[in-house]
Amino acid sequence: MVDNTVQPVRLGRGFWTVTAILAILAVAAMVFWYEFPLEKYLPAAIVTARQVDTLFRFMAATGSALYIFIAGYLIYFSIAFRAKATDPPDAIGAQIHDNHKLEFWWTLIPTLFVVLLSIVSVRIWYEIMLEPENGVVVEAIGHQFYFSFRYPQINGEVTDEMHLPRGVPVTLNLTAADVIHGFWVPAMRLKNDTVPGLVTTIRFTPRLDGRYPIICTQFCGVLHSEMDKQVLVIEEKPAFDKWYKSWQQKNAHASNALPAAGGQAISLQGGNASAGQQLFAQKCSACHKLAPFDQTLVGPGLKSVLHDPAHPNLVNGQPATPENVAAILQNGYTGSMGTMPNASANGLTAQDIGNLVAFLASLK
Amino acid sequence: MAVAAVHAGGIADHIHPEPQGFVRRYVFSLDHKIIGVQYLITAFVFFMLAGLLAEAIRTQLLNPNGGFVAADTYNEIYSIHGSTMVWLVIIPMLTGGFGNLIFPVQIGARDVAFPWLNMLSFWIFPVSGLMLFSSFLLGAPTAGWMEYPPVSLQGAAGTSMWAAAIFLVGVSSTMTGLNFLVTILKMRAPGMTFTRMPLFVWGQFATAPLLMIATTALAAALAALFINRVFGVPFFDPAKGGSPVMWQHMFWFYSHPAVYIMIIPAFGIISEVLPTFARKPIFGYKLIAFSSAAIALLGFMVWAHHMFTSGLAPFLQLPFMILTYVIGVPTGIKIFSWTATLFRGKIHYTTAMLFAIGFVGLFTIGGITGIFLAAIPFDLHVHGTYFIVAHLHYVLVGGSLMGVFAGMYYWFPKMSGRMLNETLGKWHFWLFFIGFNLTFLPMHWLGMEGMPREVATYDPQFAFWNRFASFSSYLMTFAILIFFVNVIWSIRNGRRAGANPWGARTLEWQVPSPPHYYNFKHIPTVYGLPYDFSQPLPYKGLDEELTDSPPHVAAGAH
Repeated sequence: MVDNTVQPVRLGRGFWTVTAILAILAVAAMVFWYEFPLEKYLPAAIVTARQVDTLFRFMAATGSALYIFIAGYLIYFSIAFRAKATDPPDAIGAQIHDNHKLEFWWTLIPTLFVVLLSIVSVRIWYEIMLEPENGVVVEAIGHQFYFSFRYPQINGEVTDEMHLPRGVPVTLNLTAADVIHGFWVPAMRLKNDTVPGLVTTIRFTPRLDGRYPIICTQFCGVLHSEMDKQVLVIEEKPAFDKWYKSWQQKNAHASNALPAAGGQAISLQGGNASAGQQLFAQKCSACHKLAPFDQTLVGPGLKSVLHDPAHPNLVNGQPATPENVAAILQNGYTGSMGTMPNASANGLTAQDIGNLVAFLASLK
Repeated sequence: MAVAAVHAGGIADHIHPEPQGFVRRYVFSLDHKIIGVQYLITAFVFFMLAGLLAEAIRTQLLNPNGGFVAADTYNEIYSIHGSTMVWLVIIPMLTGGFGNLIFPVQIGARDVAFPWLNMLSFWIFPVSGLMLFSSFLLGAPTAGWMEYPPVSLQGAAGTSMWAAAIFLVGVSSTMTGLNFLVTILKMRAPGMTFTRMPLFVWGQFATAPLLMIATTALAAALAALFINRVFGVPFFDPAKGGSPVMWQHMFWFYSHPAVYIMIIPAFGIISEVLPTFARKPIFGYKLIAFSSAAIALLGFMVWAHHMFTSGLAPFLQLPFMILTYVIGVPTGIKIFSWTATLFRGKIHYTTAMLFAIGFVGLFTIGGITGIFLAAIPFDLHVHGTYFIVAHLHYVLVGGSLMGVFAGMYYWFPKMSGRMLNETLGKWHFWLFFIGFNLTFLPMHWLGMEGMPREVATYDPQFAFWNRFASFSSYLMTFAILIFFVNVIWSIRNGRRAGANPWGARTLEWQVPSPPHYYNFKHIPTVYGLPYDFSQPLPYKGLDEELTDSPPHVAAGAH
């Protein structure tokens, strides 16, 4: 016969023993996550990497503790309350429908935990977002299938390694020349997509010397898997300065001759304006409208860039002459609005620059 | 009861005769049960194909240098694997498959509201599946199941075929959602109030609006991608002024709710299996039911947590992080309630029950890592890595697929009239459970240490755990082979099930297996929740008293 009466819920000694064991395991798991040497497996190359680890430890510790209780009770109930061979075939369990007190608490406690977790993660998020704005400015441009790096203070040159001085804040501007790539340095615990037509910025401060792989995390085409070969070098300030100076010299040498992409000289005579118009549609129109100077998309409107009495100067403060427009096209520019890649990153030849200048000059 | 008295008489008559020809009966059938089985068979065929693709992926990753297939082929393989598993396997199984098969009987309806629409929904599905796989002939898409432009604009012609195929299967989903929603709202038996509905019905009820509303956003995105690729209108092409991030918003506005489309019906399955085999009411019925609805609603407000690295304004990201945390609360309530359901039960270890308990254990891991990923600072580290791969497989395999298997072992007797073999079933469960964990658990630390996803080759430092995962995945595949053998063997040779082999209490078990055409000659009246084992069944006016079968489960299963 089926026993219809529901006995009051009693929690026996077995339950409390299991609860005590689970509590010990949960504490052990929390200690484990706070003691685990994360940096042995992945160095913390920047200051905020350690904050990310802190957040991870917090979530892993509380998550493991929670999981140990859930899985522990699941296993304990499964064993303790299995139907036994001696049970009559129509035996039923205790017909407990709910328990409002219990449900109240297991709604309230997770809710409070959500509040706590929100506070912890917003605080760490702030520390990542509020890294200082001054310091070294670097641009990373995603290409199929490599990143190129520019230092706007070094005119024009594009490197295939990224060097950073230890202890100096860095502003990294990211964009892409073709498709979306993901710029990730695992040792930094930080990534951001490089999106064509969009400049995004991340800021951080290097704290540990080393060579760290840079990995693309956004599928970008057939050779995406190969896009993990470049490195970020963090080094002492003097070593960085030396490296930086060697590029500056190499470059100063080059730019004296106003040379250009692919080694050809830019000719501003005889540029083909209609070829320039086509190029403008392909290469420039993502960021520049053919509109008055103040109508910015990402960069300023260029309808009358060479003939605008209200704006006699270009964004870099130089007078609006064909030569200075060519220099921006050649070297790129980083201003308050964002970063314009240089000719090499944009894939512009000397002839292209001449054509573009001719096109811009033809606009009235 | 007053409602019941009004409706109890007078609606027994309007039943069309059962069609006799093979084609009308089994091919272009209007019967929701046949359509449900059609969905399941078709989805399992696609499941086999996509499973083979998964093994091709793991075989490629045995070695850091790959070498099994070329990088381009590899990219096609994982793109079709993901697209197939999401759109042609999990969603159709849980909505069109189990949904069609079970919930109309559970609410005491004779069919869904729009049987012709239902038939159309089904037939679009294999056609779109064939289109998806035929994209291999044109050069399949390579940019994953997400197909972010602009790289998907560069993809081979098959990418346009992909967009068209997914668009079509989305049309099918939308129609199914509409159909189920109207059926649940309008066709419940007298007395079947919302708070008496079985929890599987609640799962379908929460899912149906997601199917209807979210899928339309995907349709718009896919149409725009198709038009961009084929006619050159640059919606997503930044070189011509388009916005690639726009695609991500539209895609995830669908695909985050889609995550819930893929899990809420599985929640429903688990909520049926657990009380049946614990011989206990489900703990906290109302909170489980309402939390499904809460998850479905919140699911529309968190899509941008997939886009923390996409260049959104930083302050826009915060609400998405916190709202995602909030989803942890209703999900946690469900997990606690399932665990409490076992407390002081009389638990029978059928294969369905093993899968249901396994579901709770594995889905919880996926849920907890989901909270990790919602935390922006941690997501900025592991976004786009194998950590994501691990997380999503814990949710979709450890969760949804375990739910599908629980449903298969539980409802196979109802759809076929025969039992699945329990010994093979237990081998299936244990090998699958172990193989699954050994395959996907290591991916958590692979991702954290620096292995990106969607790569055909990788750094040699990750070789050991990749090889480990690959060999473990073969164990999983072997377990699934056992399942297919079991199904094929049991269709002809399984023990006869009778109407109610499990001693379950929802309505579908109070009619013969398989149910008659039109399910109920007289619509029964419902007087209470189905889950109290100490009470008599809460139904009056059933067509026949089913006394043919004592529960198999009680006989020696422990």
